[in-house]
Amino acid sequence: MHDERDETDETIERIAAALRPLPEVAPSRKALVLVAVAADRARARGAGESGPRAWRLAVAGTAAAAVVAAAALWLGGRRSPAAADRSVPAVALDSGGSLARAGGARLAGRAGDALAPQVVELVFRAPEAHRVSVVGDFNGWNAGADAMTRDSASGLWSGTITVRPGRHVYAFVIDDSVWARDPRTPEAADADFGRPGSVLLVGHP
Amino acid sequence: MSSTGPLRLVKPDREPTPDDAPAAAERTQLVRAAQRGDVPAFAALVDAYYARCLRFALHMLGSRADAEDAVQDTFVRVHRALPSYVEREAFEPWLFRILANRCRTAGLRERRRAAVLEFGEVPEHASDPRPDEAVAWREEIARALATLPAEQREAFLMRHVEDLSYEDMATATGAGISALKMRVKRACESLRRRLQEGDDARRA
Repeated sequence: MHDERDETDETIERIAAALRPLPEVAPSRKALVLVAVAADRARARGAGESGPRAWRLAVAGTAAAAVVAAAALWLGGRRSPAAADRSVPAVALDSGGSLARAGGARLAGRAGDALAPQVVELVFRAPEAHRVSVVGDFNGWNAGADAMTRDSASGLWSGTITVRPGRHVYAFVIDDSVWARDPRTPEAADADFGRPGSVLLVGHP
Repeated sequence: MSSTGPLRLVKPDREPTPDDAPAAAERTQLVRAAQRGDVPAFAALVDAYYARCLRFALHMLGSRADAEDAVQDTFVRVHRALPSYVEREAFEPWLFRILANRCRTAGLRERRRAAVLEFGEVPEHASDPRPDEAVAWREEIARALATLPAEQREAFLMRHVEDLSYEDMATATGAGISALKMRVKRACESLRRRLQEGDDARRA
């Protein structure tokens, strides 16, 4: 049996006490873990094995729903074919609030095959803006490539992008001068050009 | 729990605290179910351990984004490795072994980038008022922690923050107990010295 005692003093106790509080965790981060695990599992299984034909967009009003939705994506592969068929092929996770309240992404099309480009609808709230466009790795960060359309009643800007399955980083450019990431999807750790971006995961079978 | 059973809510109403870590019996059941491919059981493990893993990764890496990536990668690898997990090994040190490995890998990558220490909220403007004393203390600790060699930082955090036993630390790190005790001792000495220097500089 080893002696477990350490020589501690007040300073070490104060340091430990300052380090012990748990960090705040955005609920969508846990859901993203499940999505990442599901994607890893899908890769491991290979395209030839039966599995979900597509991934579902999960824009959840609550954290619980986000986690369950992510789990449902995963379960889709091992449940009935009918359940799998109801899946749709993109994933974007929202940490709270509805899509219409601030921003977000949802799938607008359906999967044809594993690598087929998918249509994803993006929504962003900017009532005072005159122009909003989407920039990302899928359009070479070109602010002129994917302009969004404003809904005058709600002040929401929406637009669609066509992207291949995988991980994409995107942001919005407002009035050709202000760069903003989508507040409703996870922040990208590897922001291009040193500017903030958001992560969009587009799934494949 | 069957993998084809009905989907049930796995998210608690509040964020977990350290006391919420599943009790041994419950954890064993969750791990066994997750090994059989039970998604809600795996989700419950993620729920129970995410914040603790993030705390460790944050203190190891000093960057929120890197820490979250490391934790996500950890759970992906935990899921991959679950079939080979054997119960005679305690789950937490097994989890921390994978987490510590991911943090070491991320730390090596980080050193290749420009080193910018992130901790806590960064003020919008340089003229923003000074953070309060508690925040300043945490920032000072973070700076002191960042100066430790990674092995010492890892050992200190496992011992004094995560409350792992030296046996569990040996499982998690692969190092011997004597070596781990020496790392913790040296980490404590360095932290005391650094923080004392900070105190002296403020008084001067």
